[in-house]
Amino acid sequence: ISKSPKKLPNGFYEKAAHNNTQRVVSVCKMYFLDYYCDMFDYVISRRQRTKKVLEYLEHKRAQNMSDQTLNMEWNGYIQQEHDVLRKRRLKPKHKDFE
Amino acid sequence: MAFLQNFHLSPGQTIRSTRGFKWNSGPNQQQQQQQQQSQEELPPSSSPLRAKENNARPFNDTSNNNTVYGGDPLLTTPIRSEPQLQQQQNVTDFNYTPSHQKPYIQPQSGTTVTTHQDIKHIVEMTLGSEGVLNQAVKLPRGEDENEWLAVHCVDFYNQINMLYGTITEFCSPQSCPRMIATNEYEYLWSKGKGIPPVSVSAPKYVEYLMRWCQDQFDDEAIFPAKKDGVFPERFIDKIIIPILRRLFRVYAHIYCHHFNEILELNLQTVLNTSFRHFCLFAEEFKLLRPADFGPLLELVTELRDR
Repeated sequence: ISKSPKKLPNGFYEKAAHNNTQRVVSVCKMYFLDYYCDMFDYVISRRQRTKKVLEYLEHKRAQNMSDQTLNMEWNGYIQQEHDVLRKRRLKPKHKDFE
Repeated sequence: MAFLQNFHLSPGQTIRSTRGFKWNSGPNQQQQQQQQQSQEELPPSSSPLRAKENNARPFNDTSNNNTVYGGDPLLTTPIRSEPQLQQQQNVTDFNYTPSHQKPYIQPQSGTTVTTHQDIKHIVEMTLGSEGVLNQAVKLPRGEDENEWLAVHCVDFYNQINMLYGTITEFCSPQSCPRMIATNEYEYLWSKGKGIPPVSVSAPKYVEYLMRWCQDQFDDEAIFPAKKDGVFPERFIDKIIIPILRRLFRVYAHIYCHHFNEILELNLQTVLNTSFRHFCLFAEEFKLLRPADFGPLLELVTELRDR
């Protein structure tokens, strides 16, 4: 099976060798490399931030900070993360070309 | 960084090379080493995004936090950990083809071009290693589900735009006069309520579809851009699911009718990673039903059981 000829459209190789196609393919690969690096970077560093905030809040709780203040601090942190995430949706490309 | 030289960028544009890719989990020792390495490199936040956020944090000046975010974030640049190419941990061959396409299964090893080793390496690792993407799609603690889904929805839109962009030369009204995925499925486009959906060519369909998505992304009432903007009622059911359901059809068309071209262009790992990410995401939040996967149901099942 693996040796059967592939059905490629007429003129595939001419088109594939064309500058434009080559460029689009490069850009596509670049885009995905960049996207996944950035996405993993974001997810991991966000988890680390959250972990540190939770540790900090735990530490404060041990120092008898009121529950209300703790909740406020946590909500403040969440709101900030939320804003950062929203910005990622709005300008996904801009920061890649700074 | 040699691979960066292959990309054609307009003068003045540069690509950031400072981002770190970090292995989140790894059974393999080398990975663990790498992880330790990058943990030393990464925590002092380097991207302007995080640096900014750092400064803005209200309780940033407490002693506890200072130790946590110690060091000058601007001076420490995480170096992208070198991909370890000799790592041969079970790299999964991902060139699955649904049964009706049996004749063109594997790419011959000769078709694998060695440029872009980095992305190949990363996506192969992504495919091979358990749970990296599965972990990444999970809702971060405390985050609004709508926002998380909206961000991903836009990301998948961009990914599909990129993927389809590479084969526009090969997907013309002549080659694909109807938007089909195998002979069993044809997708029709409806221009509005009450107007019966019509059969259009694949490039036309994708054009309409992308325009339709973009119009919604631009609509402040649907995808709020302001800080205090809120999502509409039943945002997931009414907006997210219809968009994903349609975006999926572009994957279906590419897989069923342009997979050979993708193989020849050596984009199969990119396509597979993107699609797998899409499926895992849809599954995590229960967004698509099996019926929505129509022609690729086999592939999706394979992915899930992997």
